[in-house]
Amino acid sequence: MITLDIQNLEAKIGDKQILNGLNLQLEAGKVHAIMGPNGAGKSTLSKAIVGHYDVAIVGGDIFYKGKSIKEMEPEERALEGIFLSFQHPVEIPGVNNAYFLRTALNAKRKHEGKEELNAAEFLRLMRTHLEELGMKPDMISRSLNEGFSGGEKKRNEILQMLVLEPDVIILDEIDSGLDIDALRAVSEGINKMKDGKRSFLVITHYSRILDYIEPDYIHVLKDGQIVKTAGPELVAQLEEEGYDGIIVNE
Amino acid sequence: MKLSDLNEKTLEAIAGKKSKALEKFLSMGLPSKKSEAYRYFNVENLLDNEYETLEYVPKSIEVGEQIEIVDGVVTTAPQGMRIYYEACDQIDDDHFDPLYYLGHALYPQTIKIEVDGDAELKLLHRFTKSNALINYRIVLFNQANRHATVYETFDAKGIENTLVMYGYDMHIAKDSSFRLFKVQTMQEQNYSMIASHKINVAKQATTMYKSFDLGGDQALQLIKIDLGERAHIDAQHLLYLNEQSKRGTVSQIIHKGEHSTSNQEAKNILDGDARGIFDALIKVEETAKYTKAYQNSKAILLHEKAYMISKPQLEIYIDELEAAHGSTTGQLDPKQLFYLRSRGISAIEARKMLVIAFANTMLETIRDTRHQELIRAEFEKVFYAHAKELS
Repeated sequence: MITLDIQNLEAKIGDKQILNGLNLQLEAGKVHAIMGPNGAGKSTLSKAIVGHYDVAIVGGDIFYKGKSIKEMEPEERALEGIFLSFQHPVEIPGVNNAYFLRTALNAKRKHEGKEELNAAEFLRLMRTHLEELGMKPDMISRSLNEGFSGGEKKRNEILQMLVLEPDVIILDEIDSGLDIDALRAVSEGINKMKDGKRSFLVITHYSRILDYIEPDYIHVLKDGQIVKTAGPELVAQLEEEGYDGIIVNE
Repeated sequence: MKLSDLNEKTLEAIAGKKSKALEKFLSMGLPSKKSEAYRYFNVENLLDNEYETLEYVPKSIEVGEQIEIVDGVVTTAPQGMRIYYEACDQIDDDHFDPLYYLGHALYPQTIKIEVDGDAELKLLHRFTKSNALINYRIVLFNQANRHATVYETFDAKGIENTLVMYGYDMHIAKDSSFRLFKVQTMQEQNYSMIASHKINVAKQATTMYKSFDLGGDQALQLIKIDLGERAHIDAQHLLYLNEQSKRGTVSQIIHKGEHSTSNQEAKNILDGDARGIFDALIKVEETAKYTKAYQNSKAILLHEKAYMISKPQLEIYIDELEAAHGSTTGQLDPKQLFYLRSRGISAIEARKMLVIAFANTMLETIRDTRHQELIRAEFEKVFYAHAKELS
């Protein structure tokens, strides 16, 4: 089953066209890794999927569970089950992390016709997830991402993912700035979400994260297009030959 | 009475004799658009209105939980509070606000409050008269080596077109600490206020002045603060304005003593056609070596017609000091808004969260959780009442 179907997508940031007719299908229960050189359009792709204001879609379409999401607001896409773990999560002083998470979770529950969680129920849920991610309990009582280290920010992204239980998970350079322990904890959190139904789109520069989150497909993105798709064996080839080698051979 | 009609003769007739305050006022004249302190505030409209003047007849003070001043007269106070009516003998010689002097000149009998020992006081100002000029001044003393807190609120229901001129002459004793929390929610066309204060912070005393000015209408607080040796002031101002409101702070913090320190911070949230004012000078005199002075103003404009006047200024006459000031005015951060929305929070709710967050960064500095919760509740009440219009 296809969860996300990107068809001939063309997107601009400002006047510059970044995506040039990109085609990509994410399968349910599969991990898709996108690799590519700097400036290939990896982050633009993730932004286009979640409806970031920087990106203007000028051609093609994005279908989520068969429905076009091109005109949907970012919050509508999130409520439908699309989640982006940001490369650089923004700090928001004054917004309590727990309050933010509970607001987001209850917005989703309301959207799904479920009852909202009260503070006690929410805290119980949090305790479990915090332990799983090796996060200090005080992190949810602090302001959202304020003063968090790089690793703490990424763990907080994964915490949100665990709480919101999305169906399509986009991880934009989740490994950047992480030490080995943090990388392991974050990867375990991600692997826990694999349930055979969710789709993962792992955007990365380096193969290191793919030692922890085993991909089913590797897509190489260059000049705003997917230029090669293969199985996990492509990682080793990329390590050996680099992007230029792979693309030239194609 | 029209304040704009006042002249030497009429003022002498009202005041009864030519006082120092009257002389100072006459030398400065009524404020206008050209006056530095009132440049951004439509004071002339207020001075041109016809007001009924009130008789301030002291009443017997009933025992109550808080000090209550109704239309300039103390009606209740906690048991044992020392409150008198008497002429102020320590009027500032060099206040920048002519209305500071006019307030003293029009009614020389001030309300003198002596805060005894370690104390926490609630002070409620209640205004009940429409079309009136309510003018009174409070002289406040605390004791050396003591810690006092005043939590000040205002109430004015069912009145219109009144002008309140009030203010403090505060004398913060040596080695003491004093905290004032002022919370003032105003409604459009209810009353206007000019609050002209003088705060003298003696040697090694610490003072906190936190004002939370919320809602509508016109009001200006004009504060002159003198800092003695090793004295400290922490001045914070949260402004949330909507509709046609024009409110703000004009202040002068004067470092007079060595090692004196000041930290002044303004956070301004402006909606509708509101205009916020933060016109604040920190002056470091030659006698104030080793001063540390910091000043910052941040403003968020929620509407294209909202407007912030932010003028932090430093005037320095020595080299041996640390000082910095800054000012930013902008809109809600689009990256922060997007982050919240990307988690399923609606655009309107995300905007509200960011506004509350901006205010929270100041509210969270209130250490006493009771005060913090009271002020937060008042802020959220006023904000949410108007937030429906956010888009």
